[in-house]
Amino acid sequence: MSAQAELAKPALAVKPPMDIRALSPYFFILPAVLIMVAGLVYPVTQAFYLSFYDWKIGTDFDDAPYVGMRHFLRMVADPDVWESVWVTVRFGFWTITIEMALGVGLALLLEKPIRGASVFRTIFILPLMVSPVVVGLIWRYLFDARIGWINYYLGFIGIEPQVWLGDPELAFFAIVFTDIWQWTPFIFIIVIAGLQALPSEVVEAAKIDGVNWWQMIFLIKLPMIKSVLVIALLMRLIDVFRALEVMYILTGGGPGRATELLSLHIYNRAFDTQQLGYASAISVLLIVIVFLLSLAILVASNPMKDKSDV
Amino acid sequence: MLRMKPLITGAAAAAAIALAGASALANPYKPYEGTTIVVSWPALAHFQAAETLVEEFTEETGIEVEIDALQYLKLRDRQLLEMSKPEGEYDVVSWVVMWKGEYVSKGLLTPLSQFFTNGALVDPQFDIDDIADAYLQNGGVVGGKKGYMPGKSGALYGLPFGAETSILAYRKDIFEEQGLEPPTTYDELRATMAKLHEAGIPAMTSRGKTGHQVTAAWLLHLAPLGGRIFDDEWNPVINSPEGVEAAQVIREIAQTGPDGIPTFGFGEAAAAFLQGDAAMYLDTLKIAAMSRNPKLSKVDGKVGYALHPVGTRCGSETGGFAVGIPANAPNQEAAFLFIQYITSKAGDQRMVELGGDPVRISTLKANADKFDDYPVVAEQLPCADPDWRPLIPEWNELNIDVLGQALTEVITTDKPIQPIMDAANEKAREIMAREGYYTWAEYRGN
Amino acid sequence: MHADGLQSRSNVFSHYAALVVLSLITLAPIWVMVATGFKDDVLVQQKEPVWFFFVPTMDNYAHIMTRGKFDTYLWNSIIVGVASTFFTLLPGGMCAYALARSEFRGRRFTANATLLVRMVPPAVLAVPAFAMVVTFNLNNDLAVLIFFYTALNLPFAIWLLFGFYKQIPVELEEAAIVDGAGPLQVFFRVLLPLMKSGYAVAAIFTFRIAWNEFILALLLTGRKTRTLPVGAAGFITDTGVEWGRIMAMGTLIVIPPLLFTFFAARQIIAGMTAGAVKG
Repeated sequence: MSAQAELAKPALAVKPPMDIRALSPYFFILPAVLIMVAGLVYPVTQAFYLSFYDWKIGTDFDDAPYVGMRHFLRMVADPDVWESVWVTVRFGFWTITIEMALGVGLALLLEKPIRGASVFRTIFILPLMVSPVVVGLIWRYLFDARIGWINYYLGFIGIEPQVWLGDPELAFFAIVFTDIWQWTPFIFIIVIAGLQALPSEVVEAAKIDGVNWWQMIFLIKLPMIKSVLVIALLMRLIDVFRALEVMYILTGGGPGRATELLSLHIYNRAFDTQQLGYASAISVLLIVIVFLLSLAILVASNPMKDKSDV
Repeated sequence: MLRMKPLITGAAAAAAIALAGASALANPYKPYEGTTIVVSWPALAHFQAAETLVEEFTEETGIEVEIDALQYLKLRDRQLLEMSKPEGEYDVVSWVVMWKGEYVSKGLLTPLSQFFTNGALVDPQFDIDDIADAYLQNGGVVGGKKGYMPGKSGALYGLPFGAETSILAYRKDIFEEQGLEPPTTYDELRATMAKLHEAGIPAMTSRGKTGHQVTAAWLLHLAPLGGRIFDDEWNPVINSPEGVEAAQVIREIAQTGPDGIPTFGFGEAAAAFLQGDAAMYLDTLKIAAMSRNPKLSKVDGKVGYALHPVGTRCGSETGGFAVGIPANAPNQEAAFLFIQYITSKAGDQRMVELGGDPVRISTLKANADKFDDYPVVAEQLPCADPDWRPLIPEWNELNIDVLGQALTEVITTDKPIQPIMDAANEKAREIMAREGYYTWAEYRGN
Repeated sequence: MHADGLQSRSNVFSHYAALVVLSLITLAPIWVMVATGFKDDVLVQQKEPVWFFFVPTMDNYAHIMTRGKFDTYLWNSIIVGVASTFFTLLPGGMCAYALARSEFRGRRFTANATLLVRMVPPAVLAVPAFAMVVTFNLNNDLAVLIFFYTALNLPFAIWLLFGFYKQIPVELEEAAIVDGAGPLQVFFRVLLPLMKSGYAVAAIFTFRIAWNEFILALLLTGRKTRTLPVGAAGFITDTGVEWGRIMAMGTLIVIPPLLFTFFAARQIIAGMTAGAVKG
């Protein structure tokens, strides 16, 4: 059973060992709850609050005029906002599709336990441990139009040097590619873990029944790890709406808004053009999207507790 | 109260000097010995060169200086944050001229008149008239005509340091080899670009990164081609024939120039020229000092300079930096002594020796035979256009969100330019309306 | 459980070959960074890639150490990393313990709300955090960064530690309570030693986020409080991108997470997969 599913589970099977004084659980959760309220919930409410004011950096907030719903009305009609939502959706579609396909495909091919597997696994988690800033810097160097290594090697197969980060389509490709490099190993690792946790009896039984390789994958293995796949997918989806650091370094969102994911759009609006109130209104939109996706995770992980508890 | 403060401390300083004078040699820096001032300025070559001058300042005056150098487009957030606190960390800030309106309108800077009225602080030989007028007006004076241009209502908030105008830098060797003359008009410039491109040589480098950078590239051509951002009633005229032609020019530059112009910020655009990947550079005069710096340049000795080509008028960039003192600076007098020192005649000459750019006419003249670019700059300065771009607080949004986006479309696509500029013009009008620029016109209309 | 005998020799070979190729693709960019950090400017600007055979120079490292404020940034990063890890693990562990062991009103709500706030995007925090800093005049205070990293890390830490607490048999606590131990004693004396590996995993994840985070650090730190990632991005200067310096700095930034990976890969994978695969 997943820890997540269990955490959301209503009651505990085992009664508390003894009479822990009725208040002590509250004492135990209080510090954490206070910090999360002050550091996460309060800022989110502040984002709502600020979105009703036209506050500019360098002026007193007290002097900021109240503008009511004006920022929200502007947002609904602002093509730039929706363009960056669209960029985010396209980014999510391409990265998640390719990462899932590659990660799951490779995991199915390479699931058999072998000697030295832990070495490879260690290597595969490296991209996830590297700071996003550093990931952005490395790929900015590799994609550089003048001295980038990617152009050099593409030259061998007859491809002209490209201005990767200066062309809307190519820059989009570049951020997708970088994300795939970074996150495919993650999918690969958790799918392998899921596959190796499958009860071998089922697989053996199916073999005895004479199912072929394809049937084994599509009728037996994938359905059995469905919950793993769904959670991985939803987690990646939320990541897409949280991501901004790699793109901030790699392209800054440009050219134009071609690689400006919604998170980066908010950041740029707030601190590049200094429209703090308007940026807050857009972040309310982001909060709503992420909140809905998070609810989806909660729902998806709850039915899972029976099926995956094999 | 606020107005009184400098007077009182000024008097205290004068008293301190009087006391010091009784015992030792008179020294205007004495009262501030041991003070540490913090300076916020950009990570540009001119300012990197100035670090030596700063060390000499400390040696001479006993005033310690800490420098916080940042990429120049990142400066503003940091400075605004510091300057909006009750007491800030910075004693001296260096701003790009386009931020001066915003800083002053938010009340974040100290008027320099508070110091220039203090006889104990001001060096009688400072000679402010010697500082190039275009630089002084553009970087330091706020509140004149339209709020940012010279005029009787203006007041001085900063002194130019790292100020600039635009000149044309070209590769003498390539031009000679191709039998080309440096272009003097825009028609010649465009023909030269085409010829170089045909010969397989990347013609001209340019900034082109989305946002501020691509807009700066376009502005360089807008003024000489006769265009403006606004008419006299704040109506945007971005989509005028001149504006569209300037956009056409940057599209041609991107097509005939080195690869990667749409990703080029200031540094990358300059590097392309300095690494020998482009035959021309039409932007700030800073390129000259940079080309002489062996750390940055492979083209030293091969670079010639000419005036910014003329379109329908001569009009070159007014930009670069000025230094001033935040209203909440903890050590204002010491800060004033510092900016006076680095912009003084001796400081200006020293900057030239260190590989920086001078702001004084006398320095330009005195070094004219040493550096090819100085006579060109001296000739260019009268053309420096004080209305090169509107230095209003709203410029920031127009610059990055409106023009920065539209012009990226111009240089990365083949779409017709007029509709792109029309749309940008409409967006600009909405912003100006939102900020209340048309209320006077409407009021009169009623 | 898989019968190795069924796998033919050539199968095993292609299996390894595939893994090696994938590993190389994964490692190549990281190696490019490490190598570039040891190259001089001429090599860095050269269009032909040099992978291995060049004369390494320490110039970039020397430049970082002497010209920049590397020591300040490093120290800040360490303080922020260690402090936010500590402030995450203590309350996080207590909360996870209560959620795992006790039944109380609001338990389910707390659990679900914790999972929800885990998803708050850092970009949403940026403007309110900036506003808080301006309003309460907290600029240039490492405590602000520590506070926000703690808040950002807590939900995941609680969730992770919850799983570990679940694995500890209840009988141990019962025995301690029979011996007269109070809840705090049970938590600190009995369970804490058993939770070592759980806390280690949570510490790695928490420290990693604090160590690597960039966007809030960029916003909330000043001259004296910058962390290493902000310092690294500072080498994108107006006279060009100083690739050698950046890559050297990047290499230094990557060292601690790299060490964690080599010494605790198993635990990290356990943490990563905790959400999706049964623990």
